[in-house]
Amino acid sequence: MSEARTETYAEALLGLARAEGAEAAVADELYRVAREIDGNAELRSTLTDASLPADRRTKVVTDVLGGKVAPATLAALSAVVASGRADELGAIADALAASSAGSAGKALTTVRTAVALSDDQQQRLATALEAAAGRPIEPRFVVDPEVVGGVHAEIGDQVIDGSVRSRLIQLRELF
Amino acid sequence: MTHALAILAAGEGGNGFWIPHDVNEVFVGSAAFFIVIGLLYWKAGPAIKAAMAKRGDDIAADLDEAAQAKADAEGERDAIATQLADRETEVARIHADAEATAAKVEADLIAKGEAEAKAIRLRGGSDVEVARRQARADLQAELARLSLGAAEAVVAESLDDSTQADLIDQYIAQLGARS
Repeated sequence: MSEARTETYAEALLGLARAEGAEAAVADELYRVAREIDGNAELRSTLTDASLPADRRTKVVTDVLGGKVAPATLAALSAVVASGRADELGAIADALAASSAGSAGKALTTVRTAVALSDDQQQRLATALEAAAGRPIEPRFVVDPEVVGGVHAEIGDQVIDGSVRSRLIQLRELF
Repeated sequence: MTHALAILAAGEGGNGFWIPHDVNEVFVGSAAFFIVIGLLYWKAGPAIKAAMAKRGDDIAADLDEAAQAKADAEGERDAIATQLADRETEVARIHADAEATAAKVEADLIAKGEAEAKAIRLRGGSDVEVARRQARADLQAELARLSLGAAEAVVAESLDDSTQADLIDQYIAQLGARS
């Protein structure tokens, strides 16, 4: 997918979310749902199956996520799936979250950890990352077993990697 | 002469003597003989003398010609001998050149062979060294891969919640140190 088209989809969905007064919820939930779908091969395969009618794909979305996310998020997700762009949902969600954070004067920050963080850990991490970045951030916490341990943070284009995975890779490169 | 007269006398049928009975026949016969001799001397003598002189000249010319031919032949012989000598010298020179060329070619071939043998030995040694280094590198890489795979498994197993929390706290502390 071209970057321009991703941005267009993101801006359109963000406009709908703002119109519904659910910008923060859509940005956050769409971001999380996109990663959930990306990690579920069967669900991803179903939603990206072009041979299935659009209403069947959107029905799957409704059946899986109905009542679990905000109606505006479900509508945005259904729109993407119905238009046959489910395989680009991750990029669209990232662009939407970045645009939403940017509108609020914040930098979208993706924080990956191997285990789920407590609220206290999330708060302390957000504060420390904000101080390190020198600007307000909009953190998105993602559980990613590939990290193995520690934290991998991306603040815009800036990467602050303190993961065990990166240390193992550095160790591998030493040989 | 007497023998001839005896024969003539015998031709007349013979009277038992060596002269005819008629003396006049002897005189006439002698006169005729001398006349014939004189005629012969007078008429044929110059021609005979000329023929004899010419014959002598011819013989002299033949002798001169033979001498000249002999001299020419000797000159030709000398020339041929000289040519033969030159040929022998040329043959000797060609032979010497051929030997020198053969010796040079032999030396060149030996030198080239030795150089190629040396290059092959060096290349062989180099190839073996490269292969050994590659094998060592491959082995190290494989060992590293296996070791890191094992290390990752061990690390992942050893990272309990407490350790994960410690790592996150370390990360936050490092961020604090940066800012």
